[in-house]
Amino acid sequence: MSKRISLLLLVAILIGSFGFGVSVAQDATDLSLWVFVDRHGLFMQQQAERWNEVNPDRPINLTYEQIEYTQMHDNLLASLLVGAGAPDLADVEIKKFATFTKGDIQFVPLDDAIDPYREDIIQSRLAPYTAGGHNYGIDYHLGSFVMYYNTALLEAAGVDVNSIVTWDDYIEAGKKVTQDTDGDGTPDVYMASIETTDIFSTYAIMLMNGGGTYNADGEIILDSPENVAALQFMQDLVHVHGIARAASGGGHHSPDHFVDLTEGRIASLWMPQWYMTRFPDNMSSTLASVEVVRPMPIFEEGGYTTAMGGGTGTVITNQIDESKIELAKEFLAFAKLTYEANVALWTDLGFDPMRVDVYDDEALLIPMDDFMGEVPFTYIKAGLGNVAPEYTGPFYPEIATIMQTTALYDLIENQKSPEEVIAAALAELQAMGAEVGG
Amino acid sequence: MIVFLVFKVYPVILAVIMSFQNFQGVKSQEWVGLTNYQNVFELVRFNQALANTTVYTIGTLLILIPLPLILAVLLDSGRVVQSTVFRTLIFLPALTSLVVAGTVFRLILAEDGFLNLLLSSTLGIRPLRWLETADLALPSLILVATWRWTGINILYFNSGLVNIPRELYEAAVIDGASPLQLFWRITLPLLRPTTLFVVVLSIIGGYQVFVEPFIIYNGGGGPGDGGLTMALLIYRTAFTSFNFGTAAAMGVILAAIIFVFSLIQFRYFGVFSRED
Repeated sequence: MSKRISLLLLVAILIGSFGFGVSVAQDATDLSLWVFVDRHGLFMQQQAERWNEVNPDRPINLTYEQIEYTQMHDNLLASLLVGAGAPDLADVEIKKFATFTKGDIQFVPLDDAIDPYREDIIQSRLAPYTAGGHNYGIDYHLGSFVMYYNTALLEAAGVDVNSIVTWDDYIEAGKKVTQDTDGDGTPDVYMASIETTDIFSTYAIMLMNGGGTYNADGEIILDSPENVAALQFMQDLVHVHGIARAASGGGHHSPDHFVDLTEGRIASLWMPQWYMTRFPDNMSSTLASVEVVRPMPIFEEGGYTTAMGGGTGTVITNQIDESKIELAKEFLAFAKLTYEANVALWTDLGFDPMRVDVYDDEALLIPMDDFMGEVPFTYIKAGLGNVAPEYTGPFYPEIATIMQTTALYDLIENQKSPEEVIAAALAELQAMGAEVGG
Repeated sequence: MIVFLVFKVYPVILAVIMSFQNFQGVKSQEWVGLTNYQNVFELVRFNQALANTTVYTIGTLLILIPLPLILAVLLDSGRVVQSTVFRTLIFLPALTSLVVAGTVFRLILAEDGFLNLLLSSTLGIRPLRWLETADLALPSLILVATWRWTGINILYFNSGLVNIPRELYEAAVIDGASPLQLFWRITLPLLRPTTLFVVVLSIIGGYQVFVEPFIIYNGGGGPGDGGLTMALLIYRTAFTSFNFGTAAAMGVILAAIIFVFSLIQFRYFGVFSRED
């Protein structure tokens, strides 16, 4: 008898354990993700855990792999080209996205997964990852441009940071802050640095002035009067007002530029909100403690108050197993567009969320250790009154390449006129097969 | 053999085929004849890249032949104490990771970096903006190439020097030849095959240069594209514009240039083998 019971128990345990094992293996859907920023991967994994708590009947097992920026995009492109080897989900950076939309698009449209959240988010954030009327990617953040001021330098020059509202105010303040302290004929402190090998500084001004690279109809508008004026404004900051210099190393992510900021040679710069993390991470805590975040100066009352810069959209590749598509879409929207996810975007990643209704959540209003102990989000939010939309198109990557290799260099270093710089850019785009109007 | 066919021959054939196709994006191939080649020569960037690469190659030739040659002769002459240590030190850069070297060079070339410090303290030159000036991009790259390849070229010249019979020098010394005469009359002529070999290798390496500018300029062509090379442009055309057709056409042109130099190499070596 006891033998029989033991046998039954053994069988029951075996079946039980086997069944449990199978049920987990069957239920937890494996999803793979490629990222080029480790924090993005961690964030998505945390969201997967949250998903599993809310949806215990449909758990997912998200694994991510971090690959260096260029290599990740190249690997993804190659995998999509040959039709094998791509992950289920992948991060695609904004400047790279249009490259992937040439020929047959190898991503899964996300329209119906985004639909339930459409009313809650700043919808123009979807535009950069849209092709042929379909949304293919969801960003991690809004990436609104803000101004970063070194209060120590501004105070030393007798400038109240809160008095700067318009760009005219900014230029006037800049003239006080920019100083040649050692008397060798070149200023040792500049009000601003602007980029010649990257596009952030200039795109912000172009967009805030009503320009940009493409319009809503998908036409290249580089030669619009707004863009010409924007480029002139950039050139004047350096050569007429003398308050700005080209960033050391050409870009705001160059190690020598970080040194300039740390050493107090640059009093302010405008970059997207995510640049906040660079102060403590890439520069120094001393600098991070005296920097403050303020809204962008405006050109005119009623004009755009900020623009969006940079970004990374998570996409679903068409190499995902068909049975996983719906779950992956639902999870992606859950991870990026739900209220909780958007709060986490700020608390975990330090990014400005694209959902409007979380702006008043108390989690976003906690004072920081750095940034003068302020609540930066108060100022980030204050700048979001009228966000300039950014439209992209098939030649968006090439336009960025031209801008950051020759156009901005010619504009700032060689002092060529905006018209000349734009004409050269358009001629080059035309030679590549782009329709440039006129 | 199969490995050679799959990994060497097949990609070459595929590249040539692609250069005659309009190949922009996934599943978009169509035959377009010579259009890609026509387009290539209309691109301002291509001409700029070709000019940059040629200047870079000439620059490396002007430095990377005489400098290692002289250093090799000096190290071989027995007049340098601890020549093995020097040889190792000069050879070390060839073993260093270029990613690390790229970062170090960015700091060396920075406005308040080591190079400017050196130039201002020795020659009194005002600090130059090496990383932000288009005209200084190629000199910067040649500097990196000099650092990286001098040791390897010394190695080549050294192996050539070892093969020169010592008796020739001894006989010449007995006849009253000066060290300079020994160099001009014996070392240089007998090193000609080695020198030619190094020249051709440098030309091929020069035209294919990719990693140095890619690392130093974060994947770009540097300020104003002053450091844009052919290989960088091919990469950019393929992976930024997703235009594999045009990129393949550029690749074929680059291969043709290198092929011509290789032909010259074979011819010269042929001449030498007859002399022997």
